[in-house]
Amino acid sequence: MRIFWIQTVFLLFFLSIIIRLFYWQVVRAEFLQSQAENQHFTDTKIDATRGNILFSDESILASSNPVFSLYGLPKAIATDQKVKVAYLIAKVLSEDPTEVDTFAKDVTAKLSQNLYWVQLEKNISIEQKKQIENLNLPGIGFQQGSTRFYPEGSSSAHLLGFLGSDARGASKGYFGLEGYFDGELKGMSGLVRYERDALGLPILIGNFFATEARDGKDLVLNIDRSIQFIIEKNLKAGIEKYGAKAASAVVMDPATGGILAMASFPSYDPLKYFNYPKEYFKNPVVADQYEPGSTFKVLVMAAALNEDLVQPDTRCDDCSGPISIGGFVIRTWNNKYFPDTNLKDVIVHSDNTGMVFVGRKLGLDKFYSYLGKFGFGKTSDIDLQDESSPDIRPKSDWREIDLATASFGQGIAVTEIQMVRAVAAIANGGNLMEPHVVREVKDEKGSFEVKPKVKDKVIKDSVAQIVKEMMVAAVEEGEAKVFRPKGFRIAGKTGTAQIPVAGHYDPNKTIASFVGFAPADDPKFVMLVRYDEPSASIFGSETAAPTFFEIAKQLLLYYKIAPSE
Amino acid sequence: MTIIKKFETTEPKKGFSKRYIVLSIVCLFVLMLVEIWAGNNVVAYGEKFDKLSSIAKTLHLENQILENEIAKYESLNNVASKSAELGFSQAESIQYIR
Repeated sequence: MRIFWIQTVFLLFFLSIIIRLFYWQVVRAEFLQSQAENQHFTDTKIDATRGNILFSDESILASSNPVFSLYGLPKAIATDQKVKVAYLIAKVLSEDPTEVDTFAKDVTAKLSQNLYWVQLEKNISIEQKKQIENLNLPGIGFQQGSTRFYPEGSSSAHLLGFLGSDARGASKGYFGLEGYFDGELKGMSGLVRYERDALGLPILIGNFFATEARDGKDLVLNIDRSIQFIIEKNLKAGIEKYGAKAASAVVMDPATGGILAMASFPSYDPLKYFNYPKEYFKNPVVADQYEPGSTFKVLVMAAALNEDLVQPDTRCDDCSGPISIGGFVIRTWNNKYFPDTNLKDVIVHSDNTGMVFVGRKLGLDKFYSYLGKFGFGKTSDIDLQDESSPDIRPKSDWREIDLATASFGQGIAVTEIQMVRAVAAIANGGNLMEPHVVREVKDEKGSFEVKPKVKDKVIKDSVAQIVKEMMVAAVEEGEAKVFRPKGFRIAGKTGTAQIPVAGHYDPNKTIASFVGFAPADDPKFVMLVRYDEPSASIFGSETAAPTFFEIAKQLLLYYKIAPSE
Repeated sequence: MTIIKKFETTEPKKGFSKRYIVLSIVCLFVLMLVEIWAGNNVVAYGEKFDKLSSIAKTLHLENQILENEIAKYESLNNVASKSAELGFSQAESIQYIR
């Protein structure tokens, strides 16, 4: 009997061990395995470095800069050590020796909080990090981060956009290139998973899994940093000189559609974008619509010549005085009239009545068709995030007065990028190019080159030549002739457009602009300069034109082009 | 008279010889020592590997910071302000030699 009981006790004992083992080995196996893996393995996320944005000469416009946050673990530091630790940190981080005490008190207060983790300082340099590391302080650590770095300061802010965070706190590019190319720039983070020993050190013969981080791609731009510098400097000077509310300029290579420079003011600091109102973020060159005024005349003239409806020597038989259409009276800008004038002089004198004559010859159907051909009413497909295009009213809504005013650039809205590329078509012999800011996208594996793309052949070579000569005459004989650099053949046209306010045009508020290209016979650049509401003079010939010519003078020198005359 | 010598068969030895057994034990013992030595070294290399990884990471970061510093000094804004400090100014009139 005694043997039986002993056997039973042993049996139950072994049975309970088997049940317990079954529980650990089978029922709880997955949970325990994952817990063991968490203890044995360390996962390290490898952040991808965001791609650089480079000027055309591959110098840096925007890159990534590593920064560190200093944190403390209050519960891991002995109470009597906290003041000492704080003073040692303060000595390294205080720029001013007189502020060490204040800084140390602040750090002590943070370390005295009843928290497990507390941030002590942000954005500390790698040298400061090394100095603190050498102190071997308990409960002090670093967290690596990254910010954007702009060697040229706030230059090209509208072009670049900025790097912010999305709803989950991850870095995300907004506006401009950062927004448009966010996918290419951000890359893909990697993960390293290795077995570690009791001290947390990697075991070399242990398991090791790695997914390598893929750094973001670099963007090489068509933007020439010298031209960018020149236009920014001149626009800043111009906005002050002419008391304008805003100013912008865009320079394009007419042969390729490559954007050589683009700037707008007022601007913002992309590193401190959060200190600026949201209205500052959109790039006016691609997002702001405006009435182009007289700069539009060259396009209407090109359309009429291309359709053989007029010739350069065609005489205007309706230019002897103001024209009445549907209850509206159309006058010239200075109320001077040139009866029987030819079409070259219509452009030279920026004659509104002459353009009404040309517009009537062209007719609404063809006028409307050329709006589309020159790229108005649709986006230019430039590689910037914030591009928008003003709508063109349906053809059925156009009245006679609308055609008349649109023929001299009023009552129709465009963007600067649309305007400059349309004029580039005159400069390059009739090809409407797709504008591109980026020339090349590259990473360590290779590169992708953005090739120039002709969207449409808008006008004949011969017509482009005629309009170019009209624009050269406008520069040499027009209102802005005193500002032009002597000896160079430059094609251009001024524009002064009144701003529509509450259903009527305000005569004192204008958008002054100048569009042109140089050298006229072999254009290296086409440029548009625009001032919003200049107070020194409302006219483009006295504000935008001088700035255009000043920039052109410096660009011709930069391109090593000597005067031809 | 023919003498027929009696042929005595020798019985095959059973199992391994003592020599082989001793040799195997010595080999196993040596291998064990090698394993302990290698394991010990590899553990020490883990620490070295960790330090080297950390140094490589720091050097990579320093390189990035230095590249940015160079870019800052090369920037046109910096060049323009330095040249103005040194008394350089924009040319007033340009002579073209043909």
